[in-house]
Amino acid sequence: MSRRRVVLVDDHHLFRSGVRTELGDAVEIVGEAGSIAEAVPLIRELDPDVVLLDVHLPDGGGHAVIAQVAPERPGVRFLALSVSDAAEDVIDVIRAGARGYVTKTISGAELVDAIERTADGDAVFSPRLAGFVLDAFRSGEAAADPELDTLTAREREVLQLIARGYRYKEIAARLHLSVKTVESHVSAVLRKLQLSSRHELTRWAAERRLI
Amino acid sequence: MSSSPYRLPLGLPRIERDERGGALAGVAAGIARSLGVDATLVRLTFALLAFAGGAGVAAYAGAWLALPTEESSEPSQRRRVLGLVLLVVAGALALRGLGLSDTLIWPALLCGAGIVLTRRPPYGVLGLILVALGVGIFLLTNGGDGERSIVQPSAVAIALLLVLGPWAWRLAVERDAERTARIRSEERAEMAARIHDSVLQTLALVQRESRDPRRVAALARRQERELRRWLYPDARAEGASLASALDAAAAEVEELHGVPVELVRTGDLPLDERVESLVLASREAMANAAEHSGADEVSVFAEVRDDEIAVYVRDRGSGFDPDATTPDSHGIGDSIRGRMARAGGTASLASSADGTEVELRLRRPS
Repeated sequence: MSRRRVVLVDDHHLFRSGVRTELGDAVEIVGEAGSIAEAVPLIRELDPDVVLLDVHLPDGGGHAVIAQVAPERPGVRFLALSVSDAAEDVIDVIRAGARGYVTKTISGAELVDAIERTADGDAVFSPRLAGFVLDAFRSGEAAADPELDTLTAREREVLQLIARGYRYKEIAARLHLSVKTVESHVSAVLRKLQLSSRHELTRWAAERRLI
Repeated sequence: MSSSPYRLPLGLPRIERDERGGALAGVAAGIARSLGVDATLVRLTFALLAFAGGAGVAAYAGAWLALPTEESSEPSQRRRVLGLVLLVVAGALALRGLGLSDTLIWPALLCGAGIVLTRRPPYGVLGLILVALGVGIFLLTNGGDGERSIVQPSAVAIALLLVLGPWAWRLAVERDAERTARIRSEERAEMAARIHDSVLQTLALVQRESRDPRRVAALARRQERELRRWLYPDARAEGASLASALDAAAAEVEELHGVPVELVRTGDLPLDERVESLVLASREAMANAAEHSGADEVSVFAEVRDDEIAVYVRDRGSGFDPDATTPDSHGIGDSIRGRMARAGGTASLASSADGTEVELRLRRPS
């Protein structure tokens, strides 16, 4: 398989060179940017497979990069990478269209795996993101659109296992499913998160004094 | 420059003639720039005032003489005085245009000139004399006239306002600026204290323990946790709750054993005795995993469901055979199972070559 072409968007130079070292030859880093203003033209020009995107940039949130690039470059996939614990920022990037979210403490091998999966169009959920999403879809109130506003029992189960630190393969074995099926459940959750206007997302945000 | 008569006491920038940007002498353009409005508006004002007995023309000429240009230095004293006189005349013409009688305008002008002079140290006494003269003339010419007497108090009030207004305004502006500065410096002091107590201490420790990478990593993690809690205060984590107690337990274990504890939690509820038991059992499970498993990370997931609370503590360590160990060797016995049983919950354990997971469940207090 040819190496994935990756653009790194993060305003911390040290962190970028750290990621570069950790990724080594596993992927091809074709460009780096430190701000939204730098990233947007760069990504348009390079048309990479995957953009590793910091949730916080000096000139705004990472979601702005996705909003400006995605309409013209639908093939580019975004993976959010952050130390940020603020759920609203993470959910913002996901709702803008990122395929997943991993924390900066992720190991090199895991990051390579996450990039591969993002490039293949899969959703990449870290335990923390799974926690955020379970929170966002907490049961208890009636859903306006049952298709989009609630998780199926299976999806919930998959998310709970991700939150517990299980990998897709382990989840598949545990639930007697194929890895592909696990992936499709996670992708379905991602789609719901992006499309749902569920009022509980609002309630959940309000609880955290986000709005 | 704060005593310059061209400077309005409203915090506006100095008015300068804009010779290049202007149509005539750049007076309107300069005023427009200082006020932040369109030059056409200012020109229109001058033009309209010109209908008031030529007040606009006089004002324009006065401003042309009195205002400095951007490039040149201040205009000469003579130009300034002449310009001011023209401006005053323009003011008088404009007031006449409004229909005020001469017996009101000229005393008012005298008072105005006097007020301006009182603010310029060497002419202070002259200014007071002019004010007195103005008031005197006004009282003489309008005295005894019953209809006009209503005007007197308001004229005096306006004069007072002219004297006190700018001063009060400046006082308010200064006080505001002072308060802003004080708040800012208090914030900075609090930030400095916070960073001193946390980040700087940690950095000092890191330097001292730089030979022990595990310890350094643990210090960095603890610092990260603290900073994060400060930067992104979680509304739910305040006070004694399951979430805050688990946070604290994870931080303690991490610090004690130097192994990162990755805690994910959804939902929260207040602590009571039973929930506290659950937290203590969770802490024990985390400590076991950190101490015995050899894994380089412990994952914890806590979920508050509709009917129960579940906590999972997972490591990717060596694993062990739960049946082959003595009940106490891994703390599974009393401190986890016993505690959960007493609280009315359950504890189960699954271990394999891929690692170990402890599952704790507790029915929600009703």
